[in-house]
Order: sequence, then structure tokens, then C-alpha cells
Amino acid sequence: MPESWRPKPGDRIFRPRRIKRFRLRRVLGIPAVFSAGYGNVGSSIYYALGIVALVAMGATPVALGIAGVLFIFTALTYAEGTAALPEAGGSASFTRHAFGNTAGFIAGWALMLSYIVTISISAFTIPPYLGFFWEPFKTSPIIGTFASMGIVLFLMVINVIGIRETSFINVGATLIDILTQVSLVVIGFVLLFNPTVLIHRIIDNWPSTSNLVLGIALATIAYTGIETMSQMAEETKKPEKSVPRAMIMMIVAVLVIFAGVSLVSLSAMPVEELASEWARDPVAGIAFYLPVEIIRTILKPLIAVLAGTILLIATNAGIIGVSRLAFSQGAHGLVPSALSRVHSRFKTPYISIIVFSLIAIAILLPGFFATDVFANMGALYAVGSLLAFMFAHASIIGLRIKKPEMPRPFKLGWNIRIKGREIPISSVIGLASTMTIWVIILITQTYSRWVGLGWMVAGLIVYYFVRRRRRKPSEEWQIKREK
Amino acid sequence: MEFKKVLVPVVGSEADGEAMKLACRLAKKDKGKVWAVSVVAIKRVLPLDAEIDSEIRSAEDVLDSVESVAEEEDYKVETDVLQAREVGPAIVDEAVERGVDIILMGITYKRRFGQFSLGNVVPYVLKNSPCPVMLYQQ
Repeated sequence: MPESWRPKPGDRIFRPRRIKRFRLRRVLGIPAVFSAGYGNVGSSIYYALGIVALVAMGATPVALGIAGVLFIFTALTYAEGTAALPEAGGSASFTRHAFGNTAGFIAGWALMLSYIVTISISAFTIPPYLGFFWEPFKTSPIIGTFASMGIVLFLMVINVIGIRETSFINVGATLIDILTQVSLVVIGFVLLFNPTVLIHRIIDNWPSTSNLVLGIALATIAYTGIETMSQMAEETKKPEKSVPRAMIMMIVAVLVIFAGVSLVSLSAMPVEELASEWARDPVAGIAFYLPVEIIRTILKPLIAVLAGTILLIATNAGIIGVSRLAFSQGAHGLVPSALSRVHSRFKTPYISIIVFSLIAIAILLPGFFATDVFANMGALYAVGSLLAFMFAHASIIGLRIKKPEMPRPFKLGWNIRIKGREIPISSVIGLASTMTIWVIILITQTYSRWVGLGWMVAGLIVYYFVRRRRRKPSEEWQIKREK
Repeated sequence: MEFKKVLVPVVGSEADGEAMKLACRLAKKDKGKVWAVSVVAIKRVLPLDAEIDSEIRSAEDVLDSVESVAEEEDYKVETDVLQAREVGPAIVDEAVERGVDIILMGITYKRRFGQFSLGNVVPYVLKNSPCPVMLYQQ
């Protein structure tokens, strides 16, 4: 063919557009979903125990237990929602289906807050665990906070460039994590567990009722990773079956291990110490108090490395979660479209990754001076995630009323019939209790009240402008009057 | 061996056209069916159903070009764009779902760190494929 050849208008051929443009491949199985969920929920024990001990003192196991019951209700609600609507967005997507765009936006915005605080809080607790290798990480707030900020920046860059993350590492780390936690609990029970001491410590340090309630509220942060599993649904094979199964597996694993770790930690050390010196790295504290020298020498560095890795994965999961959520919200026109802009070379939503990582770093700033920053961060985390849980419960109830005929591969039992509609009792209890706890946190915690509500108000302002801009008709559609 | 169902994963390399030709000729004998798929890998920071126009467009271009190769061979192929996290598992999954008799992949000679390399996808498919795999090297 001569080089000067160019197609002429008559040479053009018509090719009908493919009707089935693309299909998604769901490739994850139950183990991958379970490990992602456990990686997130299980990582929170590394800091939640300390935060709860700060306020609930001797009643820490009780607070964790009560929050655990709430966690079962929430997990069941998510199981029904995810099985019926397996898509990215978790509770934000349930809410959008049940109550429309505005409510969907509010739920998503609350969820974003909880993801951002996950990033901050996980990054904030990595340095104390690494203090085993270099003391200043644990003792100096300036070095510790700088290290945490560095970790977030590092992960931000990695996620913008988009280095391939293999689920192999996640599954491996989770397996070693579960093994270490189980062996710590077993060893702890054999060597440290003493019912008399434990009961004395619980009774002697029983907190005031308001502190106990706040403790239960803070304990809910130990269980907030459940959203991650719901987000994984879009890439899971047969999500309607495997996600509820993985969730039930996780409920059992988490409750057993959390109960064990909290009981062992109270047997190992006095409550005051758990709430002060070991608040940020309670699991390292348990290893420190083991009476057998050889086990201690093995477990101390192992826990330092393992907690560091798991918390790093949790930090990264926060960044991944918030950027996916921002993208899916952006795709539905609920947040500025810049947040769902994809980098031309790296193919990642770089603006949302950078914006949210910087907000997470800003939340870490008080770490330089304030001493109570850790509990504040915990409460802020709870504000965001409890709001998302409330929306999840409300949406499941709302969907039962509005769309009773919707296919639900996993349907909650124990329903009450009102006007021919089946309302699941567990979701009603879940909604009432999460709402109560949320209100209590808002009333008692000044920092989280202002930062949390400020975040929501900022979101509503953003939403108002985004919607107003979308509604404004563009010039070309306006009919100009002829003079 | 019968070639009733042939799967041809394409990536836009020079070997794709030749692999497609070969697939059409193999399938012709048994009056089989040929599928060409192009997988768009979506980064984990994006939801799986994120529509990245540039990626989808280039995947469609690749499929258009192999379709025209098949037309030259006077054979009909079905084409699909898939979105997945990883290319290898997506190809294997597609092969399982469609119950194909053979996967035919075109590869080009590539060097990595000074040595001949097949990359990540081909070894994965070779290792995990439920059916025979044929490689066509340009």
C-alpha cells in the first residue's frame, strides 16, 4: 500500500458498538474476603484495647463484650445488605438504594471520615510497637508523630503510583497474625490467667456509669473494619453466599480472640499501666509481662514486627477504601468530579488519594503536643463509623419496607410483621443502640463533637455546591430569544 | 483433539493477529467457536466497575483489530472486554466459565534483567489453566 494512502469518506465502514461492552471478573473466594476483613477488624485490637482501658478501666472486658454483641447485629445487617447489593460503597450504597442520593451522600461522607481516621489511628500506633527496636519511637511524641506522618506519606506515594498489591501478602500476614494472637491468648491463659486477680482488678477499678457507657462506645471501634468486607463484595465470586459466610466466620474469630486478649491483658498487668504506659501498644504489654524468659524473647520482637505489618496493611486499607468510595460517590455525581479523576499514566484516582492522605496527616498534627490525642482520635473514629452503621441498619429496615420483593440471598431471621412488612429485630436493636452510643459520644466528647460535626457540615456544603452546579443547565441547551 | 471452543486473550501486541489467525484455522476444522478477550486491570484504589475510558477504548481497539483479522480469515469471533484486578486469574476464570478446549496466547520475545521473560500472566495461565494452553511466539 502506498504511504500516501488515506481513507476517503466512502471507505468508512460502520461497526456496530458491542452490546455487551464489558464484564467484571470476580475472582476472590471466602479465604481472601475473610483475611481482608480480619486484617482490618483484627488490627484494631492492637490499639482499641488501650483506648477502651483509658476510660472503662477495670470494666474493659465488659465494655468490649457488650460492644461485641452490637457487632454481631451490625455484621448481620451488613451480610443482608451486601448479599442483596454486592457493589462498591458498603453502607453508602445501601443508603443510596433505600433513601436516595442525599442520604447516600451523608452516609458515604461519614464513612469517609471513619476511613480517614483509620489511616491516622493505624499510622499513629505503628511507631510505639516499633519502639522495641528503637526506644524513641515509643517515648518521644515528636519522633513518633513524625514517623506516623512519614508512613502515611509513603503509602500515599505508593498508592498514587499504583504498585501492585498482591492478596498473597494480605492472606499471609493475616494467617500469621491470627496464629500469634491465638498463641498469645493460649500462653497468656496458661501462664498469667488468675481468676481471683482478674475479678479483683475488675471490681477494684470499676468505672463510673458514664465512663462505662463511653467505654462501650469506644469499644465499637474495635469492630469497625466490617465495612471492608462489604466493599470487597464487588470482586467476590458468588458474593451472595460467600460474603455472609466470611462475615459469620469473622464474627466468631474476632469475638473469641478479643475476649481472650482483653482477659489476658487484665490478668497480666494492673489497669493503670494498661491505660497509661501500654495504651498505644497493649499487645506488646502482654508480651512484656509473660513470666517465662524464652517465650518473652521470642514474642516481643515478633509482636513488634507483626503489629507493625498489620497496622501498615490497615493504614493502606484505609487509603484504598477512601479512594474507592470517593470514586464511586463521584461516579454517581455526589462529590466533586475531581475526586474521581484518574491519572493518565498511573491509572489511579490520584487527587482523592492525595487529598484524603493529607487530611489524615492533619488529624495526626495534635500528636506533637496533646497528650489525650489518642482517645480523641478513637472517639472521632467512632463518630464516623457509628453514623455509617446507623445508616446501614436504617437502610436495611427501609429496604424491607420500600422494596419487599427485592431478592435477598441472605435474609435476616427474627422478624416482626408491621402492615405486611417484615422488619428484622436485630437491625432495629442495632439501630437503636448505635444511635444511643453515637449521641453519648457527641455529648461527652468535645473534640469529636466539633471535628465530626464540622466534617459533616463541610460535606453538606460541598454537596450543595456540587448539586447546584450539576443542575445548572449548560449554555448550549438554553434557548436564546430572538430579538 | 477437537477445538470446539478456543479462547484467545489479547493485549495489543504484534503476536495477537497471528494467534487469532491460528485460532480461526484451528476452529474452522471442527466448526468451533472463537472468543477473544481483552482484560483491563483495575488498580485496587479504584472500584472494580470504574470506567476508565482510555483503558476501555484501547482494549476495544485491540479487539477491533483482531476482529478484522478474523474477518480476513472469513471467520466469526466473539469479543469481550473484561475488568479485573489481575489479568491471569481473569483469563483462567473466563476459560473455566466458558468451558473452553484450548487457550491460545500470542507472545512476543521480551527480555527482563537481560534474560528472556514470559512476564507474569503467561506463567500464571500455564500453571492454573483447566485446559491445554498453546503459546504462539512471534
